[in-house]
Amino acid sequence: MHVIPQLLASTILLGGIYALIAVGLTLIFGVMRVVNFAHGEFLMLGMYLAFWAFTLLGLDPYVTLVLGLPLIFGGGWLSYRLVMRPVVHASHNVQVFTTVGLSIALQALALVLWSADSQFVRTSYYAVVVRFGGMALNLAQIAAFAVAVLFTAALFAFMRWSYTGKVMRATAQDRHAAALMGIDTGRVFALTWAVGITCVGVAGVVLAPIYPVYPSIGLQFVLIAYVAVVLGGLGDMVGALIASLVVAFVEVVGSYVIGTAWKEVLYLLLFIAILVIRPAGLFGQRGAEVIGT
Amino acid sequence: MRHVKWAVMVGLVALAVGAVGALQAQQLSGEYKIGVLEPLTGNLAAEGKRHLEGYEIVRDLINERGGVMGKKLVFAVGDAVDPTVAASEATRLATREGVKIITGTFSSTLCGAASEAASRQNVIYWETSCVDPRFAKRGLKNVFRTEIDGTGFGWYNIEFIAKHLAHRLGKKTSDLRIAYLSEDSSYGQSVTESARQRAKQEFGMQEVAAEYYTFTTNDLTPVILKLKNANPDVLHHIARNQDAILFWRQAREQNFGVKAVVHAGATGYGSPDFGKAFGNDGNGPFALLEPGPGVIIDKFRPEGQKIERAFRAAVKARTGSDIPAGGHQLAGGGLWLLKLVLDAAKSDDLDKFRAAVMAMDLPVGSSINGWGVKFDEAGQNSNARVQHYMLQWQGGQLVTVWPEEFTTNRAKWIPLGAWDQRK
Amino acid sequence: MRGTWPAVAFFAAAALGPIVVRDAFFLDSLILILLWGASAAAWNVAGGYAGQVSLGHAAFFGLGAYSAALLGTRWGVSPWIGLVVGAVLATAFGFILGFLSNRLRGPYFVLATIAFSQVLLIVASRWRGFTSGSEGIPVPFRPGFWTLGIADKRVWVYLVLVLAALLYLVQLYLERSRRGYQLAAVREDEDAALSLGVPARRLKVAAIAASAALTAACGTLWAQYVGFVDPYYVFSVDLSVRFCLATILGGIGTPLGPFLGAAFITLLETSLRARFGGIGAGLVGIYLIIYGVVLILMVRFAPQGLVPWIGDRLRWRPRLGPTA
Repeated sequence: MHVIPQLLASTILLGGIYALIAVGLTLIFGVMRVVNFAHGEFLMLGMYLAFWAFTLLGLDPYVTLVLGLPLIFGGGWLSYRLVMRPVVHASHNVQVFTTVGLSIALQALALVLWSADSQFVRTSYYAVVVRFGGMALNLAQIAAFAVAVLFTAALFAFMRWSYTGKVMRATAQDRHAAALMGIDTGRVFALTWAVGITCVGVAGVVLAPIYPVYPSIGLQFVLIAYVAVVLGGLGDMVGALIASLVVAFVEVVGSYVIGTAWKEVLYLLLFIAILVIRPAGLFGQRGAEVIGT
Repeated sequence: MRHVKWAVMVGLVALAVGAVGALQAQQLSGEYKIGVLEPLTGNLAAEGKRHLEGYEIVRDLINERGGVMGKKLVFAVGDAVDPTVAASEATRLATREGVKIITGTFSSTLCGAASEAASRQNVIYWETSCVDPRFAKRGLKNVFRTEIDGTGFGWYNIEFIAKHLAHRLGKKTSDLRIAYLSEDSSYGQSVTESARQRAKQEFGMQEVAAEYYTFTTNDLTPVILKLKNANPDVLHHIARNQDAILFWRQAREQNFGVKAVVHAGATGYGSPDFGKAFGNDGNGPFALLEPGPGVIIDKFRPEGQKIERAFRAAVKARTGSDIPAGGHQLAGGGLWLLKLVLDAAKSDDLDKFRAAVMAMDLPVGSSINGWGVKFDEAGQNSNARVQHYMLQWQGGQLVTVWPEEFTTNRAKWIPLGAWDQRK
Repeated sequence: MRGTWPAVAFFAAAALGPIVVRDAFFLDSLILILLWGASAAAWNVAGGYAGQVSLGHAAFFGLGAYSAALLGTRWGVSPWIGLVVGAVLATAFGFILGFLSNRLRGPYFVLATIAFSQVLLIVASRWRGFTSGSEGIPVPFRPGFWTLGIADKRVWVYLVLVLAALLYLVQLYLERSRRGYQLAAVREDEDAALSLGVPARRLKVAAIAASAALTAACGTLWAQYVGFVDPYYVFSVDLSVRFCLATILGGIGTPLGPFLGAAFITLLETSLRARFGGIGAGLVGIYLIIYGVVLILMVRFAPQGLVPWIGDRLRWRPRLGPTA
């Protein structure tokens, strides 16, 4: 009984991190209809950015977050121009392999440049713990959660109430009609991609004080992000947030009740179950998965 | 666009030509070449490179002492990224490089495939590190292993817990509450299962929990909560790198009051990465390894002392560190034993080599790491001769604490006590 | 037969290889080219010809590998039987995947295939009692043809050559036959094909099931050749990606493409390894960067792969063919 508060705390903190990763992924799919298989690699790059800023310049990751935001955004924009723009109107398979190729190239690049050694950002406060109500919460994890909520809320507000947000939603609904309405869909896609990458890059920076970083760390997070995104409905941001919490819940409670050895099976089976029973996810449009659009 | 396509095509043709060119054999004379197979790219590369470094250091030592069979020892190096490539590289080393002996390969998933390929080519396979218990049980006459296997690690861990920790915790072994936590690869499984067996059957320890996890896990809090409920005295935790770091941090957050943490091997708590991550906050856990700082080299036999001192000096010269890394010790130690065998056999003919291996009988303290030699019929060096040591993190460093007769240091913080108190 | 002369040349060269060259490493590379080519070709049946791109084909490869290894170590059964068992199991799983393919399109299906292979990986690595868990299975080498314990690499070349030729012919059949045309229609536009009375759903499932069985056969031969089955390798996403990579580089939806792609990959890696061995081996990792970059360029500029691309250049005429 006394473990329930802690399990709940772990669920929420973990879910927040997954949400930040998932929200960028679902945004990109919602507007561009592209599943970014390289999403995990951008997370990894964000972590390395924080690590090198810390090691070489002595910058605290949260400082890197603020200073590095334009850099991350720029990196996203650049990757769109170089890699994604030519294939944004191509077939699904071409897009899949483009992002798969990007994923392979980025991971290999990190491996060649920085080797497979685990690097850890040991800030002075990495072990600081906030205790109340029978829960022990790592400060850096609380910060990551706070950043995640902030970003998701900001993104949601942006999409809902700003003009550009409206334009992006219009493009998501029907890109051809949007073009007919005079919307520059090319710019919308570039912006969407850049914003999505920024979200995951930021996630990387705030994760750096919590997890050690190495070239293949993207994989363990991104698979969970896919599950969350599909569960929430591809394209639905709030859905992604809620689904992230659900997945974290399954992971944490499953680990405790059944045993850690089987926790991956739990969320993978959950994933396959969603795909079989309700592929559109909890909040997505029914039938979206059959049309594929 | 046209130019891009042409460039790609020309590039591919050039590559094909280059590939054919690269597949040419090379042979030098006046030297004795052996093959060295380690993972040098991919996820295992960090440890693989350390092993290669260890090989190179001892190779230079060997060449300063007359080489092997009167010739200078040189290497042909292969990169064993995955099992398929390990097998191919072994074949390449045997055919293109013409080596008669291949040594390596560090990972349990690679040594099986590599040694099979070596056997097809009838070359000797001299394994220095992989711990798969089935490696030596395939009836292959050309396959030998200098290091003990995973079951040996588990054996030593329980030896330490039963003979040293138990009485310092004020408990009889049959009253000792032990929990097992392990990463789920071949390495973790073999060590943990052997430990569990020995603890239960030989000492009657009480197993209060046994959990496996994937080492890439994002969160170990649920497991820690379960372990807290089980209230063990000792935690036997076999970890890779990132999971040890995650666990230690989260165990501290959750105030997991276990009295001792015991690990085995050069990953996780046995890796310098752990010290880099935590510094003094990482003080306390034990790791079964080759001899580290504090080991009394004078307790080795005379020939062992000489080569151990030379080895450490060479490691310092090459890496600047007073302390050889686990990878250095395993690879280097194994290579030195190979030299001893070749000196005795004076040949790399399989029958003569094998006879020399079987005949060799050196007590503990004769070689690098204080190892002795006594191979069994299956080509496995025996547990009792391959002396292992328990190290502990003290002052941000791993130091040797057991067996006590071999070291000046003593194990501290038994029980571990409060998390902030171990400076 | 128009258009098959490159394939005839390829297979003839492969067949002549062991006669002309006796070097074991050369033969080893040849065997791997044929084996990876065959695996890629099996993937191509589903991914190229049926348009069902999967990043989880390692699931079937692993099933084939484990069937042979388990039956051999636990009950001393011949790996040839293991091959059949593996193929049957893979077909069954292939039907499941086929069912999914009828409910999901595009990236949803791709994600499902990834999840699928990962579930098998976890089961194989946790089920200590049956599969020896993460420790994997050392495949026993018992000399003899019936036990597929063959030391002579020349024999292996011909064994794998038979499998490769079979896969080539299967693909050729999909190119030339009526069923193949129907499958192409499904690939191009499933709704239009349905409206024309093509049994789209059944064809897709059949293609995936066939692809699964063939991939499993490759897995069995691989396990017997390399001698060690490691769950983290045989069920890995990296291995699945390898199959598609080879096919796309060589030409998706063409019969010879997978083999050319496999040849390119194998030769590139081997030569890099031979050249950069040693501590400087970090540089060897650039082959992965090359794969990523070439993959991105390939799907954009030459989605038909190298084979038709070169053909276009030589013929100086744009080719009207199916788009990827």
